[in-house]
Amino acid sequence: MQQVEEEFIRRLKETEEMRGCITPLYNLYESGDEIILTADMPGVNKEEIDLRVGEDYIKVEAPCRSALRREEKYLLHIQLPVKIDPSSVRARYKEGVLEVVVKKKIGGVRIRVE
Amino acid sequence: MAAELLNAMSEGYEEIRVIETEPLEGEGFIVFEGFPDVGLVGAIAASFMADKLGMREVGYIEADALPPIVSVRNGRILNLVRIYRKDNLLAILSDVPIPASIVKPLSYKIMEWVSSKKPKLFITLTGIPEPSRINIEKPKVFVLGSSPELTEEAGKIEGVEKFKDGFVAGVKGMLLLEGVKRKINTLLVLAQSHFNYPDPGSAAEVVRYVAKLLNVEVDVKPLLESAEELKLRLRDLMRRTSQVMQGVQKAKELELPPVYL
Repeated sequence: MQQVEEEFIRRLKETEEMRGCITPLYNLYESGDEIILTADMPGVNKEEIDLRVGEDYIKVEAPCRSALRREEKYLLHIQLPVKIDPSSVRARYKEGVLEVVVKKKIGGVRIRVE
Repeated sequence: MAAELLNAMSEGYEEIRVIETEPLEGEGFIVFEGFPDVGLVGAIAASFMADKLGMREVGYIEADALPPIVSVRNGRILNLVRIYRKDNLLAILSDVPIPASIVKPLSYKIMEWVSSKKPKLFITLTGIPEPSRINIEKPKVFVLGSSPELTEEAGKIEGVEKFKDGFVAGVKGMLLLEGVKRKINTLLVLAQSHFNYPDPGSAAEVVRYVAKLLNVEVDVKPLLESAEELKLRLRDLMRRTSQVMQGVQKAKELELPPVYL
């Protein structure tokens, strides 16, 4: 298992170097009728965050302004486990953390419980 | 009986060694540690304090189970886990999270060594995972002592709360438990933090509290001003620490304990 994790890290780092981008640390949560994505993206101006949401994905791109990293931008593309309503998206960026909240697309019919 | 039990437990832990490169003579040491953990709060706080207090390296900890890696800083070759000193203050810092397989024997060996220094206090620093951390401007600080009297005393500092119920997983919990067994005054200091994002803001609150506790001056402004750079620099360590935290069931800290005994 440790070897699998090491290999994952190696490939991630090499891809970041080759493509000049950083994959931010992120968490994806499901809560009731919402999907919540948080991503740790320090060194970003809020106005420069390019956030795009489709029915089953969230994509985030933003320039990373830091002398420390050779990489130039953050890039995160998440395939979502369920379909969402893109018009319901709310997003905020606070102290280096981006939070995106979207509502799941709920279909079906309501059934009365006897 | 207790001594025999401790001796029996130490068999098999010989592959962990605490090495003093300068003899640490004296008594009444105050020791703090910052192994990478939740939000890297302890690691950031401990290394910041050691740097600002001008502590110098006086030893290291070797363990066969640690990865075969050396650190290089300004051309100097360093062990992964190092001991620093300034007067009667000692700090244990680590460049890597402690693998789950050696958490217990490492905690045992560290506290066995700490005990030999007849310490006044051992402080372990960490974050307490807070799912709503993004909504919190000033993280709260909690304390838990190896005895109710110590918790009471440590809790007297303004703005701090006593940690009453929950779980403490990994090396922090095991160090605290060893402190209880060996009757070493051991204090766990936790601040609300992100679980798996480096959290310098949370570390700053821990530093503020420990500075008050130890009656030393440590200005946290440089830490807060370098927060963005720190978060970028520590991204890879946080990723590795997240993997290790899974191994010690760190997520249990988000659970409530059973109602009864």
